Amino acid sequence: MAEIVASDKKKGVINVAICGNPNSGKTTIFNAVTGLRQRVANYPGVTVEKTVGQFRIGHHQETFNLIDIPGAYSLSAFSPDEYIAAQALFGDIGGEAAPDAIVCVIDATQLERGLYLLFQTLQIGKPTLVALNMMDLLERRGIKIDVIELSRQLGGLTVIPVIGSKGKGIAELKHAVAHLIEQQASVNFDIYHPATLAVISRLEQMSGRSGRSRAEFLRVLFDTGGPAEKSYLGKAAKQAQGELAAGRAELIEQFGSLTAAETASLTQTAAVIAAASVRTSATGQTRSERIDRYLLHPVLGPVILAALMVIIFQSIFAWAEPAMNLIDHLFMHIGSWTGALLPEGPVRSLLVDGVIGGVGSVLVFLPQIIILFLFIALLEDSGYMPRMAFLVDRAFRWCGLSGKSFIPLLSSFACAVPGIMATRTIEDRKLRFITIIVAPLMTCSARLPVYTIMIAAFIPHQSLFGPLNTHGVLLGALYLLGLAVAVVVSLILKKTLLKTQRGTFMMEMPSYKVPTARSVLIRVYNRARHFVSRAGTVILAITIIIWALSYYPRSESITRDYQARTAVLRLEYAEQGTDAQRVREQELANEMAGAQLRNSYLGRIGHAVDPVFAPLGWDWKITMATLASFPAREVIIATLGTIYNLGSDSQGSSSLVEKMRQARWEEGPRAGQLVFNPAVALSIMVFFALCCQCGATVVTIRQETGSWKYAAGVFVYMTLTAYVGAMLTYQLFSRLWS
Amino acid sequence: MTYLSKMTPGQSGRVLGYASDSPITRRLTELGLAPGRQIVYLRNAPLRDPLEIQVGSTFLSLRRAEASLVAVEIDD
Repeated sequence: MAEIVASDKKKGVINVAICGNPNSGKTTIFNAVTGLRQRVANYPGVTVEKTVGQFRIGHHQETFNLIDIPGAYSLSAFSPDEYIAAQALFGDIGGEAAPDAIVCVIDATQLERGLYLLFQTLQIGKPTLVALNMMDLLERRGIKIDVIELSRQLGGLTVIPVIGSKGKGIAELKHAVAHLIEQQASVNFDIYHPATLAVISRLEQMSGRSGRSRAEFLRVLFDTGGPAEKSYLGKAAKQAQGELAAGRAELIEQFGSLTAAETASLTQTAAVIAAASVRTSATGQTRSERIDRYLLHPVLGPVILAALMVIIFQSIFAWAEPAMNLIDHLFMHIGSWTGALLPEGPVRSLLVDGVIGGVGSVLVFLPQIIILFLFIALLEDSGYMPRMAFLVDRAFRWCGLSGKSFIPLLSSFACAVPGIMATRTIEDRKLRFITIIVAPLMTCSARLPVYTIMIAAFIPHQSLFGPLNTHGVLLGALYLLGLAVAVVVSLILKKTLLKTQRGTFMMEMPSYKVPTARSVLIRVYNRARHFVSRAGTVILAITIIIWALSYYPRSESITRDYQARTAVLRLEYAEQGTDAQRVREQELANEMAGAQLRNSYLGRIGHAVDPVFAPLGWDWKITMATLASFPAREVIIATLGTIYNLGSDSQGSSSLVEKMRQARWEEGPRAGQLVFNPAVALSIMVFFALCCQCGATVVTIRQETGSWKYAAGVFVYMTLTAYVGAMLTYQLFSRLWS
Repeated sequence: MTYLSKMTPGQSGRVLGYASDSPITRRLTELGLAPGRQIVYLRNAPLRDPLEIQVGSTFLSLRRAEASLVAVEIDD
């Protein structure tokens, strides 16, 4: 067995890039080859995902890295993803090894278009082979491709038929890759027009030993004003500029336009080769066309879409609930168990209230996140997603967005973090940013506990028409509020700061496919892991900070006072350890916790800032609880519980509701009056609807936009909007109610 | 000669070319709308925009504004 020539960079590690059109099944093949031995990261400095996996081939010693290159239709990049794809294939990304071999995945039912990218990729000069995927789909349509002829037409290039979704041909593919690297074979046949090749040859000469492949020179030549051109002109002499301009002029004269010089050659060659290799062509409607008669029907289409959304929502909330309760209880147990082990003091409080509480509040949303990711993966892999964008695009454009914003915003109804990450499919940078900026306004699931408790406690329950009642209608209104403000913000942005005409929509409608369990599960796992580590660390960090602010300064006098009272209490009981005694001791402990909280930095901030929030109808306790919930919204309930001396485990309990209903103002103009009334409850809910109280979201925005400016901007505008909205709400409704 | 945006569902035609040379027209070509290709105009979205066409074995959806860049000849 010939020894495989190892790559220059590292002995024993071979880098193989796998590229192809979007929807060609490239990632399914990737997953079939690497299984779970894959890692997702970001390319340096950008938000394009890089997935690298490892595999072994037979009894070869070397480790093979398989690099999943973002799907691309052409190396002439039209989107950030495609730009990275080209750069990665060229080996031009700093810190990343150039590929030693390239596997080009071609959807057999879209042969001509796949060949287009292949032709460009061959110019890189690395050993390349073709994985001809979806052979089963081909067969189902009654089309036959003579693979041997195709290979011959491609100058002897290796073509491996594969059915990625079933794992067929994967073994052959791996062995072909090994063989490819051993032989270091590359093909040579005429693709580009001689006139083009002549110009390229002159450009190559001008550059001397630049190390650029022909593929890169082609980008310099054809992508006017593009990054390749800039880099070329930057390093080269004045002569080079002249040469480039002259070459382009020549080609324009010959072909009518610069682009045509490349596209005409490639599309014509692809057509010829495809015609020679396809034995029988398709007739009649495909299965996807038949399905689209319903799913894209002018009336039925939107109806089905709406029904699907309802199902998705219901599922996310209904299915996740048992799991969420389980996790919630689990963490409460962990918390009290840890608490029982440790002595009273900062360490115990930090662990129980800070760390365990913080981690728990993130993980409790994991079931919902997983179900959401599951639906998204299914929608992506089945091919339905572009249809969704198709149906809603026009309506979304009226709101300043795009059909492609649909899924990101839909996801944000569960959680804005994955929603914002999903905006990567929007090619236009400004439209993408607008989507990111309004995503946090979608009523996420963390807001629901707040709404639930406020509505149940303070909004009178009254039946309206039919099945409707005040509670349900109000909840719906809160959802609509987020949407309405999002539309307004997006329209304003579209007209002012983020004006763009460039948004494009042209999209392939891929054939419908049955998603493979393996591919879907691997993706869900990767994304969930990413979410936990990202959101988890941020929320944990901020929760600990808030904990510190609410724990310190510790008042000695309060502690001593309560210790004394506990001692007195104990004396009342002849027999220690009765339930009644335990209940009263717990009450005392809760009272102490409440007193310490009121005395803490957070409490003092609450008091100090209180006048600011007075126009919203809030007392300092509400203010404080709201401030404490800035890292994560749902924290407000636990904090209110503590403030009202119920300890922090009073999630949703009726005792908290009772306490709040009885709370009265201690001082000020409304001394003696009830703190909570419908107007106050409404103003709290409006504030939470519009405010960005999620550390994870802010960090994700920074990550996806690449700058703190946007993250800070979102935080500020939402806080201001929330403040104004809550104030107007209170001022209006307090007058109505009195 | 007319433009893709002026066709109606059910019509078929042939791509003639593009009046201008831009990244958008290049991408349309790369997706399959190259001169000489046969296309079938399939349907409009519920609000008349975007529209869906078939070219070869590829199905594409594009906005009316993008379609107005493609010069076509409609089959009788």
